[in-house]
Amino acid sequence: MQAGVKKKFQITIAHLVLIVASIFFVIPFVWLVSTSLKPLTQIFTFPPEWIPRPFQWDNYVRATEYIPFFTYLKNTVVITVISTLGVVLTCPLVAYSFAKLRWKGRNVLFVVTIAVMMIPGQVTMIPLFLIFNKMGWVGTPLPLIVPAFFGVPFSIFLMRQFFMGLPDTLRDAAKIDGAGEFRIYWQIMVPLARPAILAIGLFQFMGAWTDFLGPLLYLTDEHQYTMSLGLQQFQNQKGTEWGLMMAVSTMMTLPIIVMFFFMQRTFIQGITFSGIK
Amino acid sequence: MRVAQLTKSATDTQPLVLTKKSSFFNKSNITGWLFALPWIIGLIIFYVFPLGSSIYFSFTTYSILQPGEFVGLDNYKELFKDKIFWISIYNTVYFAVFFVPLSIIFGVSLAMLLNMKVKGMALYRTIFFLPTLVPHVALAVLWMWLLNPGFGLVNGMLDMIGIQGPAWLGSETWSKPSLILMSLWGIGQAVIIYLAGFGDIPEEFYEAAEVDGANWFQKTFYVTLPLLTPVIFFNLVMGTIGAFQQFTLPYTMTNGQGTPANSLTFYVMYLYDNGFKFFKMGYASAMAWILFVIIMALTAVIFLTSKRWVHYQGK
Amino acid sequence: MSKSVKKFGQLMVISILALSLFLAGCSKDQASGGNKGGGKDGKTEVTFWHGMTDITLNGLEEVIKEFEAKNPDIKIKAVYSAGGTDTDEKLLTAIAGGNPPDITYFDRFNIGSWASQGSLEDISEYAANSGITQDSYYPFAWEEASYKGKLYGIPTTTDSRLLFYNKDLFTEVGLDPENPPKTIDELTAAAEKLTIKDGNRFKRIGFIPWYGQGQLYTWGWVFGGEFYDKSTDKVTLNDPKIVEALQWLTDYANKYNIENIASFTDSQGSGDMDPFLTGQLAMQISGPWTVSSIQKYKPDLNYGVTPIPTPTGTDFQTWSGGWSIVMPKGAKNKDAAWKFMEFFGSPEGQKIFSGIVRDFSVIESVNADLGFTEDPILKEFTAILPVSHYRPVIPEGNLLWNEQTAAVEKATRGKGTPQEILDEATDKVNKALEKKQ
Repeated sequence: MQAGVKKKFQITIAHLVLIVASIFFVIPFVWLVSTSLKPLTQIFTFPPEWIPRPFQWDNYVRATEYIPFFTYLKNTVVITVISTLGVVLTCPLVAYSFAKLRWKGRNVLFVVTIAVMMIPGQVTMIPLFLIFNKMGWVGTPLPLIVPAFFGVPFSIFLMRQFFMGLPDTLRDAAKIDGAGEFRIYWQIMVPLARPAILAIGLFQFMGAWTDFLGPLLYLTDEHQYTMSLGLQQFQNQKGTEWGLMMAVSTMMTLPIIVMFFFMQRTFIQGITFSGIK
Repeated sequence: MRVAQLTKSATDTQPLVLTKKSSFFNKSNITGWLFALPWIIGLIIFYVFPLGSSIYFSFTTYSILQPGEFVGLDNYKELFKDKIFWISIYNTVYFAVFFVPLSIIFGVSLAMLLNMKVKGMALYRTIFFLPTLVPHVALAVLWMWLLNPGFGLVNGMLDMIGIQGPAWLGSETWSKPSLILMSLWGIGQAVIIYLAGFGDIPEEFYEAAEVDGANWFQKTFYVTLPLLTPVIFFNLVMGTIGAFQQFTLPYTMTNGQGTPANSLTFYVMYLYDNGFKFFKMGYASAMAWILFVIIMALTAVIFLTSKRWVHYQGK
Repeated sequence: MSKSVKKFGQLMVISILALSLFLAGCSKDQASGGNKGGGKDGKTEVTFWHGMTDITLNGLEEVIKEFEAKNPDIKIKAVYSAGGTDTDEKLLTAIAGGNPPDITYFDRFNIGSWASQGSLEDISEYAANSGITQDSYYPFAWEEASYKGKLYGIPTTTDSRLLFYNKDLFTEVGLDPENPPKTIDELTAAAEKLTIKDGNRFKRIGFIPWYGQGQLYTWGWVFGGEFYDKSTDKVTLNDPKIVEALQWLTDYANKYNIENIASFTDSQGSGDMDPFLTGQLAMQISGPWTVSSIQKYKPDLNYGVTPIPTPTGTDFQTWSGGWSIVMPKGAKNKDAAWKFMEFFGSPEGQKIFSGIVRDFSVIESVNADLGFTEDPILKEFTAILPVSHYRPVIPEGNLLWNEQTAAVEKATRGKGTPQEILDEATDKVNKALEKKQ
């Protein structure tokens, strides 16, 4: 069959391109893992060696002893999970309002939402710190969690684009059926926007998981520290413990990779309107 | 065009419920504001106050540790005479001009490849996403190592095909291209957004196109791309904002110095040094607001032209 | 109420509950971890921020242990701070917010600029009452910790810079390993002999003047120049001797082609990847930490150290940096905090710390006690300390540092003549200084 052969050809080309590109893209991660398994003396050798000799699994154990690994991990998980929850609950709601509802001031507010992202955080972090300071929240993880429940511009913008891409017909049909705005949102729009909601959830997770500046400024007790602060402890005046640091970094990527893997299933599904009633 | 007809016909049914538009307190206004309320509160507390403060600071000699004195437009005037300010603008614009289009082209192409319903895609997708998980410190060290002109992989491979590679990060002409190359490794995040965007496209459209006898090429350009534009728009705006605020990678690699010869001194790097190293947070705030104006202007252009090329299914 | 609103409402309630539980947990944490003077069991708790890990942290812990034994009514709460040394956002915001730690470990170099911002407590009176004077420490350490005649920090550690050279490579090319270069000319000649070039790439470089600790500061002083005129309170980056030094650096760069050298030094990073250890670099200027590096990564390296060659072969120079403890403005437990500062800076505290960490003490007698003045390599470092320079104590310390680094970068890349570049830099820093008046 002509069509079949053609398709197979296309697929093969696609695979070839992907394989070549993959080799390039996988390098940073391979280096990360490889470094995490090497003794210090082997890491920056010339010429470079990609395969550790021998595999120093010990790095992983030592890394968890070098810093209060499990305390930091617990703190990081708590802060990340709760703030992700906040974003996933609030941002789609707000974005839906921008995308589908009509109200006075909507467009102006939307422009403002994007505009606030244009100021580099380096200048707003000081006044923001002073605000939290006045509220008495410095020394607690609150500044790292509470704002997420009030919306994050990046996520709002993304969700708004998604909602705008959903046909109005669904809404009109539901309204004829007598559904209230919130019901339309919750029962129709949100399920359809699941890939996007998962995406903003993932990004918020990654952001909070690796956030350094926030914990640096707001956490003053070592018992509250997160992993990003812990990573710093591998660098000191006498040199950097690269092997241990990369071991921790590798461990920290695992939950995200797992999450991503599961997320992909939703992406593949796509949407069909026939299934909605 | 068949697809356009499809969407148009879908919106032809008029809603039967009429809404009053005259009073502010009509139902649709209240609902709208209510839904957006959390963000409005957040905006005021966590954004408006800090932003307002920073505008104020830009008119003073605020140094974080000292309130400084009010100096009006002096900071701005001084900036225009500051050589490094202009160098940093040049570097940043250079980076943005090359990086943003490249990241969109590669991002969309890659996403389309990864969207094929072929076995093993899950693995590929994960691989392209991996670089975004590697901490910046590691990326900086790795790249400096790969791009080492003496024994790095890159020049090693070029050597094999007979090209003498340049000094990459040690060369004034090649340092920015090197950075652009490094930054392209981070398109995994944009690709995810595109992949999620594909999810927004109803199967019915593809089926309709196939009924019409469209081939892969036509399907891409008449169904996929147009319906992907809302998300391309997002990545274009965010990409621009991000490119202009480029900071962490070049700062880590050059230890804040922007070597060689300031070719890697980006705008926010200089801003950061002024604010935190030289105790000139007022000056840095002025820089921030100038940056704001620049990005705002560019984004406005993108928004205005968006009416032409962005297709929202809803409308 | 519609079902979905109810469901959403439930979700929101659960989240708010979770949040409030969290809040409750946090405020408890805050209360117990507080910085109050009264503290628990009648002890005064002093918060001490530092960036120490590993062996340095061990040293700190021993000092604290000994101090607490001697001062049972004071508890030192040492908190690791991940803030950077040059741009410590954490400390900046804490001081600005009125909640600084009582004391913090601090790069001595930054004392001048932070003091000029009024962000450090003046401890001159405390010092005078405790009998601590200029003579208690190396002269440069005292000077660097003072601003406008007032003391703001207690110095704790220090270092100096010398020329390291690979004795085996010397022998290989016919140089006398026991007779290292003393003049600049000898240095340049030796470097040439030790360099092996392979087309456009270097297999081995004899010497790269600006690598390691070869900043303009180093060469400026080595050539006999001065960076700052105390009487006029002006920076003198364009001192003729400094211009001469920069010219020498530029000529050196041109001779070997800067881009090829840059490619050699890029990504060589710190300590671990030091080309001196791998034998790819035959000589370098560095400090005592390289001694530890060599012991750790290449203990069989046959090397020596010698004062940095000068144009005349006499009048050897070096400069020192180091750490200190400072008391930020707004510290709550000043008296107790001072006691710890005093202890750390006393011969006893110094001996404990430097004994473990193997960094030089700021007190000469302690260095002698610890055997630093006898070890064949280390004694070279300590011998030169009494005449060591220190970087100018001005409100624009960081700007000056950046400018002298940029000057080398610009000159070696041919962006103007050394005189022009240094004139411009001098103007820039002095203008900024005037503003801070």
